[in-house]
Amino acid sequence: MGGTASHNLPKELLSEYQELTFLTKQEINEAHKKFCQLQGRETGPNERVSMQNILTLPELKSNPFRERICHVFSTSDRKDGSLSFEDFLDLLSAFSDSATLEIKSHYAFRIFDFDDDGTLDGGDLRKLVNCLTGETDDACLTPEEMRQLIGNILEESDIDKDGTVNLSEFQHVISRSPDFVSSFKIVL
Amino acid sequence: MELREIHNQVHPPPDYNISPYGSQRSLRLRTVPAEDTSAVHFDWASTPENAEEPDEPRNLRELPLHMGLKRAVWQVQKMRVPVVSRWGSWRIKQSKTFHHLFEIAKEVFSYVVPWKRGIQKIGGHFGGGVQSYFLFLRFLVILNFLSFLLIAAFVLSPSIVFRSTGFNSSIPLSVNLTSVDKCLQYDPKPDPLAVFYTYFLDLVSGTGFMEYSYLFYGYYNNTMVESKGFSYNIPLAYLSTAAFYFLFCLICMIIRMGSVACAVVATGGGAVGRYSMLVFTGWDHGLQGDRSAKLKQNNIRYQLQVDLEEERLQRKAASLTLGQAIALYALRFFLNLVVLALIGGTFYGIAEVTQFSQSEKTTGFNGLLLQYLPSIVITTSNFVVPLLCDKIALLEKHSPSTTVILALLRAVFLRLVSLGVLLYTLWAQITCIGETSSLDCTPCGYNYENYKCWETRVGQEMYKLTLFDFLITIATLILVEFPRRIIVDHCSCKLAQWVGRQEFLVPPNVLALVYSQTVVWSGALFSPLLPLINTIKFILFFYCKKITLFQNCQPALRTFRSTSSNFFFLLVLLFGWMLASVVLIYSVAKIHPSYGCGPFRFSPSMWHIVPEAIDMLTSTSKDFLFYIGSQKFSIPLFIISCVLLCYMGALTSVHGKSVALLKSQCKLEQRDKQFLVRQIEELNATMQKELNEPQLPQRDTEQFYQTEQQWNGQNNYAFIPDEDQRLDRLTVH
Repeated sequence: MGGTASHNLPKELLSEYQELTFLTKQEINEAHKKFCQLQGRETGPNERVSMQNILTLPELKSNPFRERICHVFSTSDRKDGSLSFEDFLDLLSAFSDSATLEIKSHYAFRIFDFDDDGTLDGGDLRKLVNCLTGETDDACLTPEEMRQLIGNILEESDIDKDGTVNLSEFQHVISRSPDFVSSFKIVL
Repeated sequence: MELREIHNQVHPPPDYNISPYGSQRSLRLRTVPAEDTSAVHFDWASTPENAEEPDEPRNLRELPLHMGLKRAVWQVQKMRVPVVSRWGSWRIKQSKTFHHLFEIAKEVFSYVVPWKRGIQKIGGHFGGGVQSYFLFLRFLVILNFLSFLLIAAFVLSPSIVFRSTGFNSSIPLSVNLTSVDKCLQYDPKPDPLAVFYTYFLDLVSGTGFMEYSYLFYGYYNNTMVESKGFSYNIPLAYLSTAAFYFLFCLICMIIRMGSVACAVVATGGGAVGRYSMLVFTGWDHGLQGDRSAKLKQNNIRYQLQVDLEEERLQRKAASLTLGQAIALYALRFFLNLVVLALIGGTFYGIAEVTQFSQSEKTTGFNGLLLQYLPSIVITTSNFVVPLLCDKIALLEKHSPSTTVILALLRAVFLRLVSLGVLLYTLWAQITCIGETSSLDCTPCGYNYENYKCWETRVGQEMYKLTLFDFLITIATLILVEFPRRIIVDHCSCKLAQWVGRQEFLVPPNVLALVYSQTVVWSGALFSPLLPLINTIKFILFFYCKKITLFQNCQPALRTFRSTSSNFFFLLVLLFGWMLASVVLIYSVAKIHPSYGCGPFRFSPSMWHIVPEAIDMLTSTSKDFLFYIGSQKFSIPLFIISCVLLCYMGALTSVHGKSVALLKSQCKLEQRDKQFLVRQIEELNATMQKELNEPQLPQRDTEQFYQTEQQWNGQNNYAFIPDEDQRLDRLTVH
């Protein structure tokens, strides 16, 4: 695995990653370069890059969902959002140009599921809207508006009327949006 | 029953290790959940097995698992040797090769397509709406360039070759030309002793040395070469190239629109919830930088607040009294009349000015101004009238989205129809308003006095429109946008702050592109090099707009929704194409070509060259072509296309109905489930009462209420609490 800086990936590994992700060869090499740069700042010979360092990437720095993204793609046992190189590739693959709608909607659902319980309930939606509008006092909606908004969202997308949006209902909404695939994109 | 099958696919029967995306095909993989079981954490790594699949490597990428699991699945797949027949294995090999080639083609394509990085950067800083404008511009550049290659290959190069090698065999005359003697006179050769500045005037207005050049129709000859088994008919090539150019553009536009239409058919075109759409798909992850992120957040908040406000107002407005409703509709009717009057006045002005500029003949700078008068009037009206229409639309008190769409439609109508008015006026002057038997048009079939070579004149008008549009854009950039930024940045007076930095508004810019493209299409028959000029113009536009975007503009607070508007832009482009094709068809079929110039000089109409060429073919080809053109072929073809259209419509409605059915089914099932859960709770309660009669009943029931709330609060298919745990808890007491 790409542990030391400025070493290119071996060819078999490269083709294996090409097989398992939606990324092209150039994109994988580019990702490797960036990852090695981030690793350079890590203390100790870890394979994983801590969440702080990942969040210094310009593509993620101002994204309000950056921490959720790191948590979703991280396979670390300590649940600290640190990413290995393969986690990083998974992230880029889900956010790439050629990823399918199903993959993107699946990961979008997991990113929005703040309490990781498999559904989007009122609390998740509230946190989601706050991320979208900004957290500061003058930026977020009034409680009245928030209540109206969440009621409207649940009315529109909660098909079985159980008070939460599950993955199928979420994907149903997403499939009608022509914008989603092009906006759910991060390219290095 | 079909519905049950669909139901079982979408909601597989509950399984303890169920995954929420049960409908996707995947292999079974049992992994031990590593998380602690105290909090309700969902195990996304376990998947049920739904069907045995023939191996398809592409599905591996579509598994939403992390890399380690995907690799394990891949190993299992590799070890499993599928038992397929020779035919099956050959097919699999072919599909693998095909996919490999497809990947290579995509990589090559990504190298060839220009400006990828630039457009990505624009999207990162200004969002999807502005990016869609640049993507549209790039599409038009590529379209124009390919059209130019088409024209260069079939019309330009042969003409250059034949002219330089001195082939001069022309089509034998089959027309008595003595009566139209004076129509043959056409001498555009420039005066060699002209003053220097006339060269500049000629360059800008397409007259003089530019008139008799490859740029315009008049320079091409009606050469027909036949030697040593090689034959080339320039008039036929000219006409066919123009026809194929139009068809090619139509196909490109339809392909681009097709993907959006597919989505509509597949989902049954049902109404979309706008709040869910905005909240779930509103964030653009490609944005970079704190400033753009903050602006996007402001944008989303603004949109949400506006929508919520609109809904509150709508609820209030639904209770309008009869008198108020009448007043509102009367106001809207009146304002629509005002808009129509404005637009009508513009058209009248354009017609008058065109007539005036065509009839006067002065030279020098005044002459130049006169020649450019139609362009000036069109551009001014295209700037002023939409502004007024915007203000009027605000008075009409529609919802914000309706207001934007109305304003756009009016602007589109204005632009395209003003071009149409210009063309109509030209036509009226050239053909004496269609009466070819009137005095001015008698011997030649067109107004010979004013238009010795009318095709070149039309070409010149289109050339002037294109050039003027370009000059105005560059002038606006230099004289308006840069100074505005400098003033706003350095002057701290209130007026400057109120005016603020320029906003890059997408719809007017896109309409400008559509207008330029329509002008080029209308003029392509008369000026074959116009697509090349347009390519260069659009390339310069790209760089200029990019510079002004980054230097002078701030991102718009209220952005235009990018992909539904993409479809709208292409639709408007299609309208422009239709206008241009009307021009093409009419000039090819009806108006008599000039006697003095061009490749069609001795035919009664441009179309005439085609039957003559077909006559020279063998009889089988002729029969075949006649059959295709006859009613026996075209009517069944028309009927079949109607049937196909009806089929697509029926498919859409069926999908919509099945979506509605499935939704109501989901609702019913959820209610059934809640009913059953309540039954279970009640049964448990009575069971507990019987078991714990002597002990503390209070605490037990409290515990039950707690678990009941927990259950109701997270009541959905994806989360099934571990029933073993609950039973354990129950039996403890």
